[in-house]
Amino acid sequence: MLRTIRLLDENAERWALLVFYVMLVVTMAIEVLRREIFSYSSIWGEEIVRYSFIYLAWLGAAAAVKERAHIRIDVVLHYLGPRAKAAFYIFGDLVMFGVAVIALYWSLETVLVSAKFGSVSHGLRVSMVWFLLAVPLGFGLMILRLIQSFLRDLRSLRDGLPVYEGDRLFD
Amino acid sequence: MLWNTLQEQTVELGWSFYIPVLLFVGLCAAAVPVWAAIGVAAISMLVMSGDLPLSLVGESLFDGIDAFALTAVPLFILTGDVLVRTGLSRKFLDVAEALTCWARGGFGSATVLVCGMFSAISGSDAAGAAAVGRMTIERLVESGYPRPYACALVAAGACTGILIPPSIAYIIIGLVLGISASTLFLAALIPGIAILTAILVTNIVMNRIYAYEGGGLMSFGEWRGNLGAALARGWYAFIVPAIIFYGIFSGRLTPTEAGATAVVVTIFIGLVLGTLRLSDFPSMLISSAKVSGVILPIIAFSLPLAQALAIMGVPQGFVYSVTSLTDSPVLLILLMIAILIAAGCVMETTPNIVILAPILKPLADNIGMNEIQFSVMMITALGVGFITPPLGLNLFVVSGITGESIMRIAGRAVPFVLFMLIVVLLIAYVPALSTALLPDIYK
Repeated sequence: MLRTIRLLDENAERWALLVFYVMLVVTMAIEVLRREIFSYSSIWGEEIVRYSFIYLAWLGAAAAVKERAHIRIDVVLHYLGPRAKAAFYIFGDLVMFGVAVIALYWSLETVLVSAKFGSVSHGLRVSMVWFLLAVPLGFGLMILRLIQSFLRDLRSLRDGLPVYEGDRLFD
Repeated sequence: MLWNTLQEQTVELGWSFYIPVLLFVGLCAAAVPVWAAIGVAAISMLVMSGDLPLSLVGESLFDGIDAFALTAVPLFILTGDVLVRTGLSRKFLDVAEALTCWARGGFGSATVLVCGMFSAISGSDAAGAAAVGRMTIERLVESGYPRPYACALVAAGACTGILIPPSIAYIIIGLVLGISASTLFLAALIPGIAILTAILVTNIVMNRIYAYEGGGLMSFGEWRGNLGAALARGWYAFIVPAIIFYGIFSGRLTPTEAGATAVVVTIFIGLVLGTLRLSDFPSMLISSAKVSGVILPIIAFSLPLAQALAIMGVPQGFVYSVTSLTDSPVLLILLMIAILIAAGCVMETTPNIVILAPILKPLADNIGMNEIQFSVMMITALGVGFITPPLGLNLFVVSGITGESIMRIAGRAVPFVLFMLIVVLLIAYVPALSTALLPDIYK
């Protein structure tokens, strides 16, 4: 049980991102082949692509929080000592946390409204709830990651270790 | 007529405008991630102005990025990544080198050409800077270029990433202004190549002045032999850009479809060559997914901010206050370029596009500038911002892979910036550069 949780903690975004990325690429490629070779195209292919993409975007945002990969104007950080740096990172996390909570609340609201009126997607005729959920799921995960990163920073601050600065995006 | 009524509207901007703007600037300066700073600005503007409900944020996080054109973004990012891992990018370098080795400064020119080829496949900028930088900077130094200059050359060349189609920046501005990405790609072709040429020429000029790299002195037969051999070894790499260009410009494929086809073909080539293994896939997909996860929240939160600005009448107010100063189109265009360059220096391209495009476009309409030419001018001017400090993304990337200091690279990038600015001015004042290839309906 504990092992499962740890595995999930380390890999949840990775697995989900893999699934949605593969779904996006494969669906689109099949649609192209189908149209060019069999002169046929589905009404739901585009929908799968768009909704996989939205999941990809918000889960990717959560993954980027976990690895501190979000773009920031970090000129100021180059001139700071380790403790001040940690403070700035924690402050940034707190701001993200605030925005994420508001986003979670209002995106859940859209999900609930959609559930109440039972809207379905145009092509697949599947309840929109499944797709709209991408946003609150992404932000929920992001909030979790922010709490973890907050605890990690406090720990390294307490132990006097340099704060985690993330993997560089393009290294 | 509409215009006159708009012009009579003076817009009073109160605290509900200035406080969010100040918050945004302050948070960005405090190294808060850009998407969160934009989120704070958008939310506070909606709350303080009270004109729009806060639920707008919740909706736009889904609806704002629910656009088929945007799904091309992860595909073009992935294509660039696969291209590097399959080693096809090296084939481009070999061919480019064989193509330019007859001239003095041949390897420098080859570096710029590789940047261009990479741009014609991948839609983003930083990935190209990292990929080309890793392949070329050491060899540029061996060829005689000082290291900061070599970094600046790669950083400048990689600016074409968003300027030569396919390009994520054009997809985003198309989304914001409601123009099809394919049309913008076609319009961007000549300007993008013009920028690449400007960088090439800058390097040749600098090389003439400082005599960094020698070389050259080669008979025509030898050159042809070299080029033939390089092409024979790497011709298949050119299938990928050929598919993208033919697919998009013939109208057979949308940019998204072209992106997916390019990914699949590149992966296929990699598997056939044996340079790509199935075990490479997870790390490849996940690193590309993170790039999407970094870009898209910025778009999603910029959209409600742009809407809030529109409701408060900021675009009209801006046009009114600017046109009351001068109504000479020449000066107004210069002013727009100045704003874009300044914005490009201090902020990321994505929020710049989403926030500034709706504000500046009425000004362009006012002086009768075609919206497509406006888009090309805007993206090109913002593109220069990739190599200007303090926030030039390409500078950070090449500095990250070489350890060279950002300011020293930026110093060497000055001549590139100047030559690129000349092209920006040409694009702004010569509409034909952006519209020559377009069907008549867009002119």
